[in-house]
Amino acid sequence: MGYEIKVGDQQSEIKLLSRDGNIMELLVGDREYKVDIVEVEKGIYSILYNGISYNIELISKDKKVYSATTLYNSFDIEVLDAESRYRNSRRKSEDEDSAFISTPMPGKVVKVLVEEGDKVKGGDTVIVVSAMKMESEYKVVKDRIISKVLVKEGDNIEGDQPLIMLE
Amino acid sequence: MIKKILIANRGEIAIRVMRSCREMGIESVAVYSEADRTSLHVRYADEAYYIGPSPSNESYLVIDNIIEAAKKSGADAIHPGYGFLSENAEFSDRCDKEGIIFIGPSSYAINTMGDKITARKKMLTANVPVVPGTTEPIEDIDEAVAYINEIGLPVMIKATAGGGGKGMRLVTKEEDIVSSVTSAKSEALASFSNGDVYIEKYINSPHHIEFQVVADKHGNCVHLFERECSVQRRHQKVVEETPSPIMTDEVRAEMGKHAVAAAKAVNYSGAGTIEFIVDDDLNYYFLEMNTRLQVEHPITERVVGVDLVKTQINIANGEPLEFKQEDLKQTGHAIEVRIYAEDPDNNFMPNPGTIEHLTEPLGLGVRHDGYVYTGYKIPIYYDPMISKLIVWASTRTEAIARLKRALYAYKITGIKTSIPFLSRILDVPDFVNGKYNTHFIQDNVELLKPSENSSQRVEDIASIAVFADYLANLGKHKDQRFCKPQLGGWKTFGRKRNVTRL
Repeated sequence: MGYEIKVGDQQSEIKLLSRDGNIMELLVGDREYKVDIVEVEKGIYSILYNGISYNIELISKDKKVYSATTLYNSFDIEVLDAESRYRNSRRKSEDEDSAFISTPMPGKVVKVLVEEGDKVKGGDTVIVVSAMKMESEYKVVKDRIISKVLVKEGDNIEGDQPLIMLE
Repeated sequence: MIKKILIANRGEIAIRVMRSCREMGIESVAVYSEADRTSLHVRYADEAYYIGPSPSNESYLVIDNIIEAAKKSGADAIHPGYGFLSENAEFSDRCDKEGIIFIGPSSYAINTMGDKITARKKMLTANVPVVPGTTEPIEDIDEAVAYINEIGLPVMIKATAGGGGKGMRLVTKEEDIVSSVTSAKSEALASFSNGDVYIEKYINSPHHIEFQVVADKHGNCVHLFERECSVQRRHQKVVEETPSPIMTDEVRAEMGKHAVAAAKAVNYSGAGTIEFIVDDDLNYYFLEMNTRLQVEHPITERVVGVDLVKTQINIANGEPLEFKQEDLKQTGHAIEVRIYAEDPDNNFMPNPGTIEHLTEPLGLGVRHDGYVYTGYKIPIYYDPMISKLIVWASTRTEAIARLKRALYAYKITGIKTSIPFLSRILDVPDFVNGKYNTHFIQDNVELLKPSENSSQRVEDIASIAVFADYLANLGKHKDQRFCKPQLGGWKTFGRKRNVTRL
């Protein structure tokens, strides 16, 4: 099938070997697991492995990006299929701005500090967004040119929505 | 007698107040903004009225709209909850003028305690210990420098109209005095449109301990003991407990007397809280008075056995207190944690969104005051607190174990919450040993991070859950019940019966 799974920075192959009802056999890296797995409530998986009971709570940011919480740990986990591996290979360098500025949560635009065509320096704040009585500033990582401003002050925005496009 | 109460608030506190109304046979009236049409307090109330657009300064803070809703519903009293208009003297006066009972103190008490310098002066005349500092706003910098040299560094510069950590500066070095005073003044002016600041001696490793008081309109005033609120992040309380692990019987009795004296000094009536700052040697100083019901009031209710909202309503009805000081005692130990819609692993970024699933903890000694439900979309306009979890047990050790158990069973999916962070607090040795002050979170920042040394197996199991969920959502699988619980036998039985009947 050709899937990989990325936990934090660690990447390993994941493969479904067999499935019989709720019993699955999988290979994660070179480790083999036979588990009894049930989604008991929406987003909550109960997994039994060698008699040990695990509860994993999932919040999916999009179809492939999850955060998974156990009692003591929280992991950022991404499923890498052929498409996302291809995309990742094209965007190699870390610490780069993505093509646009967005927020991880919904909120309201308090202030837009740039206009189209502005040249901004790395570390400059370009937009201020408030959610739940708290204001957060969003900055560019490197010197960039603002190619498009998609929102205005007072707009309600969704999480991960493009707000300002960068050149 | 009050027959119908309008609750000028939203969220968990609105529901908390309505619960007591139900028990007392009083009708409850909710008010709601545009964003809150689907909020649980609207559904729980007997009546509900729209009061304006989503931002709180166009709805929950508009006195005219709330009075109008009260008149329309025929409510004879208004309970303000906490936050919003609860400590607004103008609102208290306006209710009075309109012939509606305000379930809270008079505007005189709100004003006197709301201005920190006036409050300090009042406390000095009532012989309540206050932190050494100025009793007048600072006029010029030279005067400030001279005074600071007199009481000695470190000092705090504070806004007289302040709250929530705004307009506050800690000064530890002489060369920082001028810049700190100037910046505190401008911040205070921007936040509260009042640039007055004053100087207070800074107490090292302080504890934040507060006393609950209740006073009726016949001159009776008692305290309901302390709440330890030292676990704070950015001056916001995170965990509260009672009794305080550092308290002694002698100091408790003495502080209680001073708390009552403080309330009497402003002819207080209703429920209120006297906040003290306490050092390691149990020297204590008056900090401020909150002239409303506190977020953390349930731990007092649990340990003392008094319903504070009922008490507030009875006082507003003009009834004398049902108990005397000597009737009250603390039984067992209670702890409260506040659950916020925020991401503790990403700088506590607020995380509004839709609750996909919610399982509230139950069982012996657990109380859950919340307002969200499965499918509810948390609005972006209001405070990120979504619920409070309160446990009670006969000892502190048992209460901590119970709280851990309850947090484990508390499942919220769809948004990130502070639950994992709260669980980690309960494992920090300083907390377990009851040896902590307001620096607890910054002192234990490493221990409060998510554990790094997870085993490979836990990572793999989490990965398997993610992979299974991913595959289930791909929809390629013929079997619709991928990873779903097996069906019970009833459906098959029904089908079979239909066939055999033929």
